[in-house]
Amino acid sequence: MTAAPAIRLTGVGKQYAADGPVVLDGIDLSVAPGEFACLLGASGCGKSTLLSLIAGLEQPSTGTIEVDGRAAVMFQEASLLPWLSARRNVELALRFGDAGLARPARRARALELLDLVHLADAADKRPHELSGGMRQRVALARALAQDRSVLLMDEPFAALDAITRDLLHEELERVWRETGRTIVFVTHNVREAARLGQRVLLMSSRPGRIVNEWRIADDGPRRIESPTVSELSVEITEHLRREIRRNAA
Amino acid sequence: MAGLDRLQTTAERRTPWWRRAIDGVLPPVLLLVVLVAAWQAYTVIAQPRPDLAPGPLDVAAALGEAWDDGRLQLAISTSLERGVLGFLIAVAVGTPLGLLLAEWAPLRRALGPLISGLQVLPSVAWVPAAILWFGLSDATVYFVVLMGAIPSIVNGLVAGVAQVPPQLRRVGTVLGASRFELAASVVLPAALPGYLAGLKQGWAFSWRSLMAAEIIAFGGSIGFGVGSLLQQGRDLADLASVLGTILVILAIGVVIELLVFAPVERGMLRRRGLTGGTP
Repeated sequence: MTAAPAIRLTGVGKQYAADGPVVLDGIDLSVAPGEFACLLGASGCGKSTLLSLIAGLEQPSTGTIEVDGRAAVMFQEASLLPWLSARRNVELALRFGDAGLARPARRARALELLDLVHLADAADKRPHELSGGMRQRVALARALAQDRSVLLMDEPFAALDAITRDLLHEELERVWRETGRTIVFVTHNVREAARLGQRVLLMSSRPGRIVNEWRIADDGPRRIESPTVSELSVEITEHLRREIRRNAA
Repeated sequence: MAGLDRLQTTAERRTPWWRRAIDGVLPPVLLLVVLVAAWQAYTVIAQPRPDLAPGPLDVAAALGEAWDDGRLQLAISTSLERGVLGFLIAVAVGTPLGLLLAEWAPLRRALGPLISGLQVLPSVAWVPAAILWFGLSDATVYFVVLMGAIPSIVNGLVAGVAQVPPQLRRVGTVLGASRFELAASVVLPAALPGYLAGLKQGWAFSWRSLMAAEIIAFGGSIGFGVGSLLQQGRDLADLASVLGTILVILAIGVVIELLVFAPVERGMLRRRGLTGGTP
């Protein structure tokens, strides 16, 4: 890959207090523009912290982080504003800060984005009238509304049921192919990582380091029950278990 | 995806307004009829002394008399005007004060206990001081009303802001909101339920304080309010008139709640999907 990376981390470490535990240690990572990278690790390994650092919500203790523009972020909860309709929630991202579009333009763009996640019919519904999967898609549309080349996703489908999650994987993959975003997707679900990523990065716990990575040949959409995903999942799970055992010792 | 969406959402069922009106109005009206009937039956059967236990008909007659010579209308309009105006002033003062306290922690730590203390202090306690400061004038009445209402409104707003989920602020920041945009578009609307509860309590305290002030501060340039009507009944040892006035004060409280606060609150809860199990 010759293009400048969309995200480049060099020797990034994070420690919340000087005498506290080292959460992240010596992370070197570069993500190419348009790449779909999955960050995989057990709970509490610091993957969410790493995402917050890339998002600029927190500052690293050591090392440098370069991001092409700023990143859009999607969380595990949809975190929609409950008093606004789906469309108005998406419009919010078009109104704040540097976006500052005029009202009719915001409206049109929001409807376009809701259509992209197949929610044009639900534009005037409020969050409580939507299912969990629909709310996450509104959140996805809102993250896309920011028009940033990098999209960070922090376990966005973890709270959903398996059927909905499976369909949302397809949606996300389609949106990724259509919009050409660079995606960093944090998850603790091995199959999800193997299903979605072009690259899977395995993190160890305490301190959080990237200990292994797999590249997956991108020959079009693959299904979560496909042999490729299964084989890779078995292999990654082996490594993950070894990491966890190492911590027990 | 569309199929799953259809399966996972249920169309919101809304009962027609007349149905809701009947459901809401019928039970209290029935109870009222039963209570009045029981009261009337008691006066007819037990025959108590009418000056100590007047029946509903005596009370109605006393109210009718007050209406005929114009005292009742005058009292209601004077009190309502003061109550509403005082409440609006309290909102205008309490809202910016509450916002300031909510967003500026040092001030909240300094002033918070005092505001909470004022909320507990019965505002009637201010009446003697107010009479000494302002004499028997409208200023006395308004002062007492404001001291009653402002702490509730401030506390409601501060509590509302404190209960805004941190995740919503985080989302606002991630979406690139400036400090002002975050306050105006995220924090304030999110704090609305607490603010509304504060307003409701503020109104209740305004109304109570007003009645107390009108009963105690009587004469001078102070106009003739419902509290004054009550005091007049007491001076004349006219129990029917006193009971009738109490019912009027109660009725005004109920009407304001039903016509102003209840619809606003219901609308807000419904928009946020917070209606829960209540139909």
